[in-house]
Amino acid sequence: MIGDIAKQSLQSPRVLIPVEDLLGNARGSRIPDVCGESLSIEIARRIVDACPTSALTLAESGSAPELALNYGECIACQRCVQAGDGAVRMAANFTLCGVRKHSLIRRWNLTTRTEIPQDDPVAVDAARAIRELLKRALNIRQVDAGSCNGCEAEIVALNNPYYDLERFGIHFVASPKHADMLLVTGPVTRNMAEAVKHAYEATPSPKLVVAVGACGCSGGIFAGNYAVTGAVDSVIPVDTYIPGCPPTPAMLLTGILQTLQRR
Amino acid sequence: MTSSVQQEREAGMQRALDLLGQTNTRLVSIFGSKDEDGTARVHYILETSDREYRIFSGRVTGPISSATAITPAAAWYERELQDQYGIRCEGHPDPRPLLLHENWPGEVHPMNGMPKEVPWTNREYRFLRVQGEGVCEVPVGPIHAGIIEPGHFRFSVVGDTVLHLELRHFYTHKGTEKLFEGSPALNGVMIAESVSGDNCFAHAVAYCQAVETACGIPVPPRAQAIRLAGMELERILAHVADVGALCGDVGFTVPAAYNARIKESLLQASTQYMGTRFWRGIAVPGGVTRDLTATDAHKLAHAIAEASRDFVELAQMILNTPSVLNRFESTGILNTETARRMAVVGPAARASGVKIDVRKDHPTGRYRHVNVEISHYKQGDVLARARVRIDEAATATRLAIDALRDIPTGSIRSALPSAGSGEGMSAVESPRGELLYWVRVRSGNIERCHIKSPSFQNWPALPLAMPDNIIADFPLINKSFNLSYSGCDR
Repeated sequence: MIGDIAKQSLQSPRVLIPVEDLLGNARGSRIPDVCGESLSIEIARRIVDACPTSALTLAESGSAPELALNYGECIACQRCVQAGDGAVRMAANFTLCGVRKHSLIRRWNLTTRTEIPQDDPVAVDAARAIRELLKRALNIRQVDAGSCNGCEAEIVALNNPYYDLERFGIHFVASPKHADMLLVTGPVTRNMAEAVKHAYEATPSPKLVVAVGACGCSGGIFAGNYAVTGAVDSVIPVDTYIPGCPPTPAMLLTGILQTLQRR
Repeated sequence: MTSSVQQEREAGMQRALDLLGQTNTRLVSIFGSKDEDGTARVHYILETSDREYRIFSGRVTGPISSATAITPAAAWYERELQDQYGIRCEGHPDPRPLLLHENWPGEVHPMNGMPKEVPWTNREYRFLRVQGEGVCEVPVGPIHAGIIEPGHFRFSVVGDTVLHLELRHFYTHKGTEKLFEGSPALNGVMIAESVSGDNCFAHAVAYCQAVETACGIPVPPRAQAIRLAGMELERILAHVADVGALCGDVGFTVPAAYNARIKESLLQASTQYMGTRFWRGIAVPGGVTRDLTATDAHKLAHAIAEASRDFVELAQMILNTPSVLNRFESTGILNTETARRMAVVGPAARASGVKIDVRKDHPTGRYRHVNVEISHYKQGDVLARARVRIDEAATATRLAIDALRDIPTGSIRSALPSAGSGEGMSAVESPRGELLYWVRVRSGNIERCHIKSPSFQNWPALPLAMPDNIIADFPLINKSFNLSYSGCDR
């Protein structure tokens, strides 16, 4: 019986996705991308109105009106794509994974219809320490701080034969005491806040904390509701953020490697 | 969607309690709402012996008499009422807080309105104490060892053998039902999709159907067929993943990896033809947002057929492996009587000889036009639950492929009335069982939305399958029920 399975396994076609096809790939994430050239003040108003969270905002007061898209609050609902008259599309590539919080926000000048360049992402000190200490090895402890389980479904997928996270020397461990990185999902609920703090304290330094998903980055649609404290950084310090609702395995991988500055 | 639902609004409470005392009445849900004058109202949804859903309700002016004394299946619903609305259920054997933990002041009930700030408190929570010579307590969680949701399990054991298991959940309680209040009906679907992420499409469809019933919105047949295909695909994904995880829990890792691969192939097919891995954003009140071309529908059906063929072969192999059978058979038995008493739903009910399935008993949408065979077993053990999932993956494959090969022509979405009002409910058979949404819409906004999730109903039955099993089998037994924490905690 086991022999049959082994035989079948050897005969079946390879499904492993090459790393270059994964990094920055946004397929299936439904994350929006804005085409600056097609923007106008009317379109900007329309897509801001269509956004059910406050991910899209318009600043009309200054000398040049500015559109801002905070990916940390985006739940990938596609309303802006439908309202945007071609100025907003589903992103084919997306690299703002595993970045500092302020880097999640992109801005467009509506007068020049161009994107306002971002500061260079700042390197995370702990990432360098971990890389020097452990080279290619990384242990991750995943902590669900109140998520809907959508992010977990995608994190679990990282272990399947398509993504095979272990090829990068990265694996998931059962205890924060064995971990170099905490991958934390969910709006932090009041009922989980204490446990999340304990998990953080139990993780030895140097350590990295990555907030995952719209809820982990900003509290998502649950922000401000009575039973949640909000984003992961409302209870523990966070190094980098991976947006998405949920982020796809490709986005998660991009985010983990980018946090380590291994890409 | 559920035009046959009968409602009794006044003096309904006593009538509901009387009916609950009769055999063949199944408790579906109990929840609260507010009348226009601010008085609380308690609603009981029952399935009576003629297999009809019936709703009873009554105004609450003081303590109400507890239904839990009549049926233990009501216990958590009444504890929820107490937390949300401060309604006291007289005669409840276990009135401890449920949703709100030690950090929450006992006098604040979120559905009655919220103070500006809720202070953090440290109330006491008492676990049941099992005493006697050699009895040890093993606390597990809320954070578990794997990539799983949080919850707490308190085992009382003698040696390896479990005497008693007490659950403490609601660590992922996000106040979701409160979040619906005031939300435009069109946006509510995004909240529904974030109740239980791996069953998000079933939640979205159940929510949409409830709104459609409340506001009298027709759904084009083409949209109904696409919804059916999506729900059955979600069932295949869930069952393939569960059977794989069961293999993983008995150290049979090759089929576990294979099942993960089959699941991923279906998620990629969904991405290719629907633009989304988990069908988020597809269902909306009035229909669906995305159409399928004939070619794409055919290709998606083909991908499902291929994945399912691999799964059938793999499942045969799993069921013929003695070391697997040795672990699955007679482990974690939930007997028929207990399953009925706890009003268990979904695959867990069908594995314990309770032959219920919303797709057959209360069909909505396209399900009215298809025939669903119900797979059921009497044994109630891990093996029976695995078999139900394997059988259901095959049925779901047939239903999904049939729906995709024969999609009615026409539009995929009907226009929404700008300010619909009304009350409505709808149930669907999610991969975990009967999932029901009840909504009250006023001028296009949700005034109250209650979610009866299958996991909320089934969790209290899990500890009853544990006694006399060894603690090391708990992960396997738990996985065989595969209940959602977030779906339960909301």
